[in-house]
Amino acid sequence: MAKHFRLLAIAGVLLVGLVALLAACGSSNGGSSGSSSTAPKQLHIYAWSGEIPASTVSAFEKATGIKTTVDTFDSNETMVSKLQSGATGYDLVEPSQYAVQELAQLNLIVALDKSKLTNFSNLMPMFQNVIYDPGDKYSVPWIWGTTGLAYNDKYIKGPVTSWKALWDPAYKGHILMLDNMLAAYIAAFQVNGYNFNSTDKAQIAKASQSLMQQRPLLMGYNATNFAQLLSQGQCWICEAWNSNITPVAASNKHIHYVLPKEGGSFWTDGFVLLKSAKNVDAAYQFINYLLDPAVAAAASNEAHFATANEAALPQIKASIRNDPTVYTPLSELKHATVFLNPTAQTALLQADWTKLRAQ
Amino acid sequence: MSRTRRRWTQLRAGALDTFFSVATGVVYVFLLAPIVIVVVYSFDRSSTGFIWTGFSTHWYRTLFHDGQMWQALRVSLVVGAAAATCATVLGTMSAYAMARRRFRGRALFNALLLMPLVVPEIVLAVAFLVFLVRVRAPLGYFSLICGHILVVLPFTTLIMVAATSGLHRDLEEAAADLGASPRQVVIRVIVPLLLPAMFASFVLAFLFSFDDIVMSTFVNGVGTTTLPLLVYSMLKLGVSPEVNALGTLLVAVTLVLLLTTGVRQATVMLKRG
Amino acid sequence: MATDVATEAPLRVRRARPERHWSTLLLIAPSIALLVGFVVVPFVYVVRVSLATQGPFGSIGTGWTLANYRQFFQTTYLQILGHSVWLSFENTVICLVVGYIVGYFLAFRAGRATPVFVLLLIVPFWASFLVRMSAWMILLSPHGIVASILHTLHVASSSVQLVPSNGAVLVGLLYVFLPSAVLPIYAGLRTVDPSLVEAAKDLGCGTHWRVILPLGRPGIVAAALFVFAPSLGVFVIPVLLGGGKSLIIGNLIVTLYLEFRNMPFGAAVSVVLFVIVMLGIVACLRAMRSADGSEGGLF
Repeated sequence: MAKHFRLLAIAGVLLVGLVALLAACGSSNGGSSGSSSTAPKQLHIYAWSGEIPASTVSAFEKATGIKTTVDTFDSNETMVSKLQSGATGYDLVEPSQYAVQELAQLNLIVALDKSKLTNFSNLMPMFQNVIYDPGDKYSVPWIWGTTGLAYNDKYIKGPVTSWKALWDPAYKGHILMLDNMLAAYIAAFQVNGYNFNSTDKAQIAKASQSLMQQRPLLMGYNATNFAQLLSQGQCWICEAWNSNITPVAASNKHIHYVLPKEGGSFWTDGFVLLKSAKNVDAAYQFINYLLDPAVAAAASNEAHFATANEAALPQIKASIRNDPTVYTPLSELKHATVFLNPTAQTALLQADWTKLRAQ
Repeated sequence: MSRTRRRWTQLRAGALDTFFSVATGVVYVFLLAPIVIVVVYSFDRSSTGFIWTGFSTHWYRTLFHDGQMWQALRVSLVVGAAAATCATVLGTMSAYAMARRRFRGRALFNALLLMPLVVPEIVLAVAFLVFLVRVRAPLGYFSLICGHILVVLPFTTLIMVAATSGLHRDLEEAAADLGASPRQVVIRVIVPLLLPAMFASFVLAFLFSFDDIVMSTFVNGVGTTTLPLLVYSMLKLGVSPEVNALGTLLVAVTLVLLLTTGVRQATVMLKRG
Repeated sequence: MATDVATEAPLRVRRARPERHWSTLLLIAPSIALLVGFVVVPFVYVVRVSLATQGPFGSIGTGWTLANYRQFFQTTYLQILGHSVWLSFENTVICLVVGYIVGYFLAFRAGRATPVFVLLLIVPFWASFLVRMSAWMILLSPHGIVASILHTLHVASSSVQLVPSNGAVLVGLLYVFLPSAVLPIYAGLRTVDPSLVEAAKDLGCGTHWRVILPLGRPGIVAAALFVFAPSLGVFVIPVLLGGGKSLIIGNLIVTLYLEFRNMPFGAAVSVVLFVIVMLGIVACLRAMRSADGSEGGLF
């Protein structure tokens, strides 16, 4: 029997050798030790995967000589929790709009020095002074999108225009809601005609009641692979973030994304500077670099998202510019809003949401 | 004991054995079926995954150029191997002590061991992170490996406890009586007997470490994003089928290794005649 | 197996017992240091947090309160706890049965191919967890393979909804926990003395139930621990494969920590869970030990 394990030892050695090979041909991304005063300049970014294309990062490295690492997180919630618990090492973080507010409240980020961001005026006016961060004090928006609904026209005769479709008994068993309390309540408040920033107890109760009534009709709550399920036909209609729908709509012409007439919501992902950042100058250089129209356009064309940079728009590919799952016409956005105080809203909605999910 | 009764017992034993073999076969089909799906769809042209639109090796080409994926894989493999090795060694040592020695506070040690199992991983991870921050430990490979060892130590220790409890004490004493020094007893008698269990323990520990998300999220540092973390963070823009391609490649590598050892096995057996 | 020193032949008394004390300590010290330093100390912090007030903006306050514990003992949360314990129990039973089948096969029937089979167990884990679960959603989809097979066998109608469902959750859980069940059982059975089995066979008694199963018990108990406790903490599978309509405790704690950022309450739920599960485990182990009075190892 010992002979077997000798063979396995050989297999193990081969595996280790493979790792060494991978190490040799992998990119020179990170893995290095901390900063030192005479070392080449560094920058450490903590961001969503795919939103800063690798080509953009390497172009930046080449242009400035700053060695840049990008680590990824899977949700705003984990990122905030990790930073709140004291994790350091990152300079720039790319949170979504409500997480900017949370990070600011927790005193983890600093106000930005706009004098160092010469390209700031390239942003669309609506993104130079965002409602969740007045005057863009803490954050610089990078990309944006909306929260609305998506449906498969093979099973549902369009066009669908209202949140009410998610409560339609005709689709029982084929409706998905997002597994995210704030996102679900956006629909629940708006379907009742309320503003989802409402703190009125009666309105909250009504919204919760709507969700309770919707429960038996649902296939489930899903924030992971709902786009795939929609595309495969197991789900016919779902609440969705547009960014998840873009790839499936590209290959499945039956998928449509709509911002409901009640308003929906919009989200942005932008950059903030951590209080514990060590490479502040490099951070400003990076943000300024991304604000350059050519860079923003190249990134947007590669990763298929809507850029917040107005000056970059002429350079965006027409196919992306006209894709309804990427760019919602600005006129439709007039009723879309964001949470003004997500932390406070969370506290108000928790109990009902837990009860809804605990049945 | 009558002959018919013996025949009946033998038949029953034989039937039981067949049942076990067939049932295991079914279980392995169950285990590998999703992998077949992953392999098949890694060659699918579309980016939504899981709706067949045509054959393409596009995702393999994309994967080849994706430095971030390879870096993440490297981190996961290194951390996995290190954590699994440490945990197996520590687990064997503890298990041997518990099986062979008497000591006070054994119940306490057992309880200590079970803690990482019973406390939900996110609670453990956040608390460990806070601890690391307080003692100003650097976040990176070291914290990742420690965190992973914590998560898998109960598993390795308990497997080795199960293994050592079946170890016949007489073998060690016989070896000692034949003149083996304590060290020789360990190396020549105990370790070879425990090797299959240590292997099982290492494999389980490596699996958990490789797949671990929660602990890794909180205690990793700059430049040490593990593979599952990277895949999870792709959820927002849609998990790229590159992940299917990577999975297929890794599966292929493992199968090739298995085949080569299997071929060597066969040639050795053939040579024996 | 637990031979008492005093009854051994006088020849052996020569061995100096005191030296064993130090070597025992040496063997266990690293594990203890690791566990105490990195698990116990942080857990004390968790207990402290569970007694803390909620600070502003989702941080942890500096006050002391029992409110978090009081909040837990309400219908909603007890419902979640009950549902979780039941699901874990179901999963443990299934995993033990399947795990024993495969573990037995690996230990006794696989012979030289054993390392191959063990490595085949890990092959699925090379594909990311999300990808594996997505693959199950395809396999279990209304027109997928499993549904087709069931339809052909006339067990189910043509468009049966297999996922999301409780059954799908159990399938997913089995898939994830199978190696945790198989490997300890295999390790435990592997060291069973074959001569004992042979002797039993020669004596003509039912080797399996009377001999192998009891000897493999430490492995089975380890497997039960490996499956039951962590099952309580899963949070992705019940949502993906079960539709997420019923939270289990794993979901609740993660939601409290991350989405609600109510760490004091999350910590309190974890402490309650910890106490309940530990008491349960200790009670079971004590019961087993008194049932046959054996010593040695954990059990």
